[in-house]
Amino acid sequence: MSIGEASKRRVPLSALREGESGTVISILKGPGRGRRHGSARCIMEMGLTPGTKVVMISSAPFHGPVVIDVRGSRLAIGRGIAERIIVEIDEKNG
Amino acid sequence: MDKIIRVALAGNTNVGKSVIFNYLTGLHQHIGNWPGKTVEKAEGTLHFKGYNIDVIDLPGVYSLSPYSLEEQITRNYIVHEKPDVLINVVDASVLERNLYFTLQLMELGRPMIIALNQIDIARKKGIDIDVEKMEKILGIPVIPTIATKGVGIFQLLEKLIDTYRRGATNRGNYIKFRKIIEDRIEKLVNMLESRGFHYPARYAAIKLLEGDEEIENEIKKLDVEIVNVAKKLAGEIEKITGRPCHEVIISERYEAASKIASEVERPVFSTRPKLTDRLHEVTTHRVWGYITMISLLVLIFYSVFSLGGYFSELLNILFYNSLEIFFLKLFESGIIGKLLWGSAEGVIAALTVALPYILPLYFILYLLEDSGYISRVAFLMDTAMHKMGLHGKAFIPLLLGFGCNVPACIGCRILETERERLIAVFVVTLVPCAAETVIILSLVGKYLGFQWALLLYLFNLLIILILGRFAFKILPGEPTALIMEMHEYRVPHLKTVLKQTWFRFYEFIKIAFPLIILGSTLIKAIEAFGLLQPLSIMFSPIIVDWLGLPMITGITLLFGILRKELTVILLSTLFGTTNLIEVPGFGPINMIVFTVVAMFYIPCISTIAALVKEIGWKKALMISLFELLFAIGLGGIIYRVLTLFI
Ligand SMILES: Nc1nc2c(ncn2[C@@H]2O[C@H](COP(=O)(O)OP(=O)(O)O)[C@@H](O)[C@H]2O)c(=O)[nH]1
Ligand SMILES: [Mg+2]
Repeated sequence: MSIGEASKRRVPLSALREGESGTVISILKGPGRGRRHGSARCIMEMGLTPGTKVVMISSAPFHGPVVIDVRGSRLAIGRGIAERIIVEIDEKNG
Repeated sequence: MDKIIRVALAGNTNVGKSVIFNYLTGLHQHIGNWPGKTVEKAEGTLHFKGYNIDVIDLPGVYSLSPYSLEEQITRNYIVHEKPDVLINVVDASVLERNLYFTLQLMELGRPMIIALNQIDIARKKGIDIDVEKMEKILGIPVIPTIATKGVGIFQLLEKLIDTYRRGATNRGNYIKFRKIIEDRIEKLVNMLESRGFHYPARYAAIKLLEGDEEIENEIKKLDVEIVNVAKKLAGEIEKITGRPCHEVIISERYEAASKIASEVERPVFSTRPKLTDRLHEVTTHRVWGYITMISLLVLIFYSVFSLGGYFSELLNILFYNSLEIFFLKLFESGIIGKLLWGSAEGVIAALTVALPYILPLYFILYLLEDSGYISRVAFLMDTAMHKMGLHGKAFIPLLLGFGCNVPACIGCRILETERERLIAVFVVTLVPCAAETVIILSLVGKYLGFQWALLLYLFNLLIILILGRFAFKILPGEPTALIMEMHEYRVPHLKTVLKQTWFRFYEFIKIAFPLIILGSTLIKAIEAFGLLQPLSIMFSPIIVDWLGLPMITGITLLFGILRKELTVILLSTLFGTTNLIEVPGFGPINMIVFTVVAMFYIPCISTIAALVKEIGWKKALMISLFELLFAIGLGGIIYRVLTLFI
């Protein structure tokens, strides 16, 4: 693919490759209701507010969780949640 | 008379609260549970400069919104119990995230000081923090500390006293949101204050705008109008910003935290050894991670089993040889002697399990947690554990269950929600512990061959999976997804780990020993009064007719409640032979049925005690009863199926 295409691409966080960075755009509503653990709100309170930079560090095999760097700390995030976090891949990754 | 200061330690998880707590309180602490909750409560006291200081170590949390039990407990404690001074423990190496919580704590408006902890780790990461500037921005005292070395603890205490003396005036500069939000907060604050609401008004106002249901419900009791106004104001903010109101507030708080962090952090030359990063990479690697994990676990189990087994045997011999003779001499064979010996046997049984198995496994659990390894295991095992509706963290307690169910039950505390803890303790009680492994090996393994023993073991794991899924399906609530901070690896602080181990062990002993002594005296009494025969006749419809076992095995199962391995030990005694295969009516099929029943029929009394401690009497009894019925049902079915085929 061309570099132009690679920039400004919006993908779920889980689709980032190791070392790739992106910016959080939005968080999709989960299956559960309201304010439970794992809700969009709870994810934001862990620091993933829209506009935040994230870097993919690694992901576990068998559709396991991912590890990202956010706000100077490392977070492990279950695949289900990571698929609901929409990020824009940073241009310099191309 | 000494004055009492009530102090609460609050902060994210793994910031060093427990190390500081242990430093402050030494051996004057009490570990229990929050009333009616499965969350641990640690309290302690110390004397300093003529003050009696009561310290409480609040659960580690990331926000003051009620997502989890821990968060509810933390905020309710601060709001309702109003500690005199809050000590916010902050991890200097992850300042931005920690400050997000600090800013929320400040909204509560209690007198507060900050222990800026782990400055050694921050420095290794290349971060130095301008403490004076931080104090100035936040308007509250900041004391740099290295808890593991005791650095800064004295100053912390001095500041604490100082802050207490100055009292309510010292509340810091809480952050100001942008004007459209501040104006609305002010409106709500005015309404709340005019109604004399007991909550800190600014906190309540912000939470109302964030749509916090718990606080809405409380304020509704006071004045529905305030909640309606808040909803309207939140709607206005959403209209202006085009984003949900809670999102705007969370974002602004994080922005403020980020700004403060960047203002006070000064980059210094990083001496960070890349070792911890390398360790993280290896232990979370898709191949090496699993290899490391398995090797480590095999090592742990091998050493605990072999050393524990040896030690346990030694204790047994020691107690029995010395004590039994002494007892029988003292009381001859009178009834009192027998009963007392029953109690003594209970104590022996408890000690020979507790010392060699429970204590070391507790220690290993806390050691792993303290080092940060548990979160790596959780990461690796998340997918597998999700099959049972648990998340990766549940793997460790489950695993400990293979050693002993007791520390495993206690270990379930590391899980996030009440529901998850309940599923996990239930599953844990089904795990074949060391004693159950002994039964499998010494009965089926010895007489029918190793492959049958292995088969039974696998069958047990299958049952765990099925029942785990079953519990996951029927219990109300949603499964929790994994979202957790992965801290740097750290060298565990041995003193804290030892204290944690000891106090938790002690708490267990306090509950378990009376129960065990009572149980074993009761069973001895049954024996002494000649009730064994009538009882086994009473049970015979189940034992003989349904399970197809010799009548006498009912008695061994009764004793097995004290200690599972007693079931096999007593078989030899009661049948009067060590070659059990010769016993008429106890063929291969009966052995398998007996072993299956012994594996599942009820958690042993120590485990029941641990269950009671973790989830309360009612649920503990329910689980025990369920497993009893399940084991009997399963045993009967297996008996019939096997007779059909063999
Ligand atoms: N190097 C270093 N390690 C620390 C410091 N404070 C705590 N730790 C370690 O950080 C980990 C978490 O500490 P703990 O008190 O259990 O955190 P809590 O979850 O807040 O109670 C443990 O391994 C401690 O030994 C510190 O100041 N420096
Ligand atoms: Mg702690």
